[in-house]
Amino acid sequence: MKKQRVGFLFILPWLIGLILFTLLPMIAAAYISLTDWSIVGDAHFIGFENYKNIFKSPEFYKSLWITVRYAILAVPLIIITSLSMAVMLDRGHKGVSVFRVIYYMPAIVSGVAVAIVFKWILDPNFGLINSVLAIFNIQGPDWLYDPDWVLPSYLVMAVWGAGGSILTYLAALKDIPQDLYGAAMIDGANTFQKVKFVTVPLMTPIIFYNLILGIIGAFRKFTDAYVLGGAGKEGNFIMVHLYEEAFSNYNMGYATAIAWILFAIILTLTIIVNATKKYWVHTE
Amino acid sequence: MEKGEYNKVTKYIVKLFKERGDMKKLIMLAMVCILGFSISACGKKDKEDNHFVFATWAAGTELNELNQIVDKVNEQANGEYVIEVQSIPSDYYVKISTQIAGKRSPDFFWMTQELISKYAELGAIADLTNQLEASTRLNADHYYEGVLASATYEGKYWGLPWIANPLMVYYNKTMFDNLGIEAPSVTDDWTWSEFIDVARELNGKQNYKGESIYGTVVDGWPNIETFIWAGGGDIIDKDGKTILLDTQESLKGVSYLQTMIQEKLTPKYSEVASLGSNNVWFEKQRVGMFIGGLQDNFEYKVSQMDEKDQFEIGYAPMPVADDGTAWSFDWTASTVMKKDLEGNSLAYKALEDLTLAFFEWKVAAPVKGNVENVAVVAPLKEPALETIAYTLNNARSANYIPEWSDINDKLWYNLYVKLLNDATFDYESEMKTIADYAREKISTRK
Amino acid sequence: MSSQKVKRARKKQSVGMQRFRKFLWYFVAIAGSFIMLLPFFWMISTSLKVENDIFSVPIKWFPSEITFDNFVRAFEVVPIFKYMKNTLVIAGGKIIGEVFVSALVAYGFSRFKFKGRNFLFMVLLATMMLPYEVTMIPTFIVWSELGLVDSYVPLILPAYFGSASFIFFLKMYFETFPVSYEESALLDGAKYRQIFTKIFLPLSKPALVTIALWAFMGTWNDLLGQLIYINSTDKLTIQLGLASFSSMTGEVLWGPLMAASFVALVPIIALLLYAQKYFVEGVKMSGIKG
Repeated sequence: MKKQRVGFLFILPWLIGLILFTLLPMIAAAYISLTDWSIVGDAHFIGFENYKNIFKSPEFYKSLWITVRYAILAVPLIIITSLSMAVMLDRGHKGVSVFRVIYYMPAIVSGVAVAIVFKWILDPNFGLINSVLAIFNIQGPDWLYDPDWVLPSYLVMAVWGAGGSILTYLAALKDIPQDLYGAAMIDGANTFQKVKFVTVPLMTPIIFYNLILGIIGAFRKFTDAYVLGGAGKEGNFIMVHLYEEAFSNYNMGYATAIAWILFAIILTLTIIVNATKKYWVHTE
Repeated sequence: MEKGEYNKVTKYIVKLFKERGDMKKLIMLAMVCILGFSISACGKKDKEDNHFVFATWAAGTELNELNQIVDKVNEQANGEYVIEVQSIPSDYYVKISTQIAGKRSPDFFWMTQELISKYAELGAIADLTNQLEASTRLNADHYYEGVLASATYEGKYWGLPWIANPLMVYYNKTMFDNLGIEAPSVTDDWTWSEFIDVARELNGKQNYKGESIYGTVVDGWPNIETFIWAGGGDIIDKDGKTILLDTQESLKGVSYLQTMIQEKLTPKYSEVASLGSNNVWFEKQRVGMFIGGLQDNFEYKVSQMDEKDQFEIGYAPMPVADDGTAWSFDWTASTVMKKDLEGNSLAYKALEDLTLAFFEWKVAAPVKGNVENVAVVAPLKEPALETIAYTLNNARSANYIPEWSDINDKLWYNLYVKLLNDATFDYESEMKTIADYAREKISTRK
Repeated sequence: MSSQKVKRARKKQSVGMQRFRKFLWYFVAIAGSFIMLLPFFWMISTSLKVENDIFSVPIKWFPSEITFDNFVRAFEVVPIFKYMKNTLVIAGGKIIGEVFVSALVAYGFSRFKFKGRNFLFMVLLATMMLPYEVTMIPTFIVWSELGLVDSYVPLILPAYFGSASFIFFLKMYFETFPVSYEESALLDGAKYRQIFTKIFLPLSKPALVTIALWAFMGTWNDLLGQLIYINSTDKLTIQLGLASFSSMTGEVLWGPLMAASFVALVPIIALLLYAQKYFVEGVKMSGIKG
């Protein structure tokens, strides 16, 4: 009983913050989604009209499909890449600390800067990637200018930025007791087996964290897509669509309704992932 | 807070650290911080009636110039009013609309022509008609008609235009001379077919200074309006209700665009950005003609180049449309006033003073009889004066309506971009689709 | 005799093998580094180029002549150091609160079972799911009613109530700790508060440093939040400064922008280098835990 109360006390600051800063705007947003509010004008209550219109809008489905497709590919890709990087950077080789900093570097620049630099990297004619390919006599794709290559372009950017989560893994890798590796070594395990049977299971809580945040991040992908776009409107991720509805077309009510649909999708996925937690996440 | 108070707080914090345990220290520190904030938040006084906030998208160097202008205006007002500048360097309308929603709207702010009808319709900006008509210093007659139209919605004036940037044709005179191509005249009319013929001729001369050249560059710029007008058509009629996008004239206009893309008189769409942006193609002498705003500072850029890279710039007005009109698409920004100040004569005076001061700042002031000033503000533009005078007289914007952003979105993604990527794209049926979409949008207007 | 030979051969091979694997490790690590650093190289290279070199065909990897004009111009266009200082004030104001409170709450979520815990944790996750863009204006209206617009308060104060993603990360991180420590500490008569400050906080240094770094970067790279709340020019922040390098006709001063972006990166890189040593420190800790 006492332990219960102590636990509650520990989370109290957050709970107060939730009520003060988060709940009120969320309630407001729930109401806004039922209005035709245009930000600079008056709001009129229109019931579920926005939601009805969204479900009738081909543009909504298209941007949702773009986002879902991206999420399905990018989330596992980022986790595998960053976990491999982290395992690699957990070695005791000389200079490893320098590499750690280097691999983390992409995460320190803001989304806009990344987008600008990638505009250069992915340029069809003189971009860095296609220039390198040209050395091997390979004609590179048109990247963001070819509707079929817009998604791969965003995946390239995502993998490049995957180092952003290596810190989470590295922090946890440090906690894997060295004697476990020792024991595995005596049993004759090779590197791959060590990673598979020792590292990954102990890292599952952090993988779980990165999975959830990865899903949220993929569905809320915005900044680089907003700056770079993409041919055939293939760069029109759901958040870009929402932003343009809200701030270019001034349909804030409609945009807020999209936000709640997005919210429901992410929440459902999180609940599903959370339900599987007990089967694969290793906890003490 | 007074200095003494600061010392007291510091002493208190030090004491706190000496007395308490680890955990409590931190919690206390956090609380002291929160307390500090609340104190600093107090004592904010309400703004006075003759104090106006003016929001601008000018930033960096331009902000410094603007600050000087405003300082001068304040000085001349001699205490009658004070204008304070608020710079919004990014996401301008996100911030403006958020401020309006929070009842913290700036008193004056710049607004691009496309949005004026929207903000007017939603009741966010003041109707300036009465004051503009009554003023002797700056009234409707002073403005170029086409420019003032961009701040007009439903017959009322909603902003004071302070800058105009209509399109004209820049061409590389040195290139034309070297290749033996006849240059267009400074002010005489030429048609779109003639424009395209010159572009073809340029395209035919494959090698200029070791590079292949193109007639002109089209990559979403010039905008779709320019081409639609080229056939004598329009998107929306002056009445703000009738959609003309699918008329024969409008379709004909877009066929000029289609021709230029199909005959590759412009670099490929995916190629344009590789030089940074479209204007660089003109600066690096890879295209012979560039349709640009009269504000574009090619003259300055060329003057900064190595001697071997310099070239002479020629000017021509926009080609004449098939119906004989010679419209030049113009982008105009106006300064608008927040709704609460409607009818406030002091605020209007401040706005008017500010606008008159802007006329001395950038090219081109949207008021008649001021063309010579262009050469004062930008001396390098002097050779273009004749063309500029001609262009300003024919400057106009599209007939914007509150539904514009939705319609424009479709025109860009579903029409222009598709055509840029594929010259065989069936633009005619797409224009009909968009026209129907626009009609439906307008019919549901409240 | 022959068996000894085999043994020796095996030993030799494994030394060779080890060398080869080490070589492979370095090869991969260095190749990867090139890819990671390429955009930064490009940024620095551009900042040192004369204007004509920035967009050129074919692409110029290195400046044909090195110029520092872009840096000089960058500082003329925008008071970079002042804006950096302003951003530091915000970051410094929130970091301690954000990290400490987040750890506190994460400890509560990970180590105690109380009524509604799972529900509240879901609520915590849910707060990250609704896009900021749609709650931004209602939040602004609240701060504006409180008269706190054009101050740093709306940017700093909420940090003192924890940040959802940090709490989530630390909760998962704490879950990798064996329960045995606290059990023995509890048997020794320690209080929960002491377990938190004496065991959890010191043991999670790598994680705390990580989120401190995130908190700093979050502030350093934030544009929209700062844009909405700051009005006065002399209170502007570094990202808003970087946004000032395009003129009203939309022309971007690429050279000065890249120079300024590079200058703006220096504090983060310095912090990263400084923080990096704490990750090594984590290794020593693992000895106690095992």
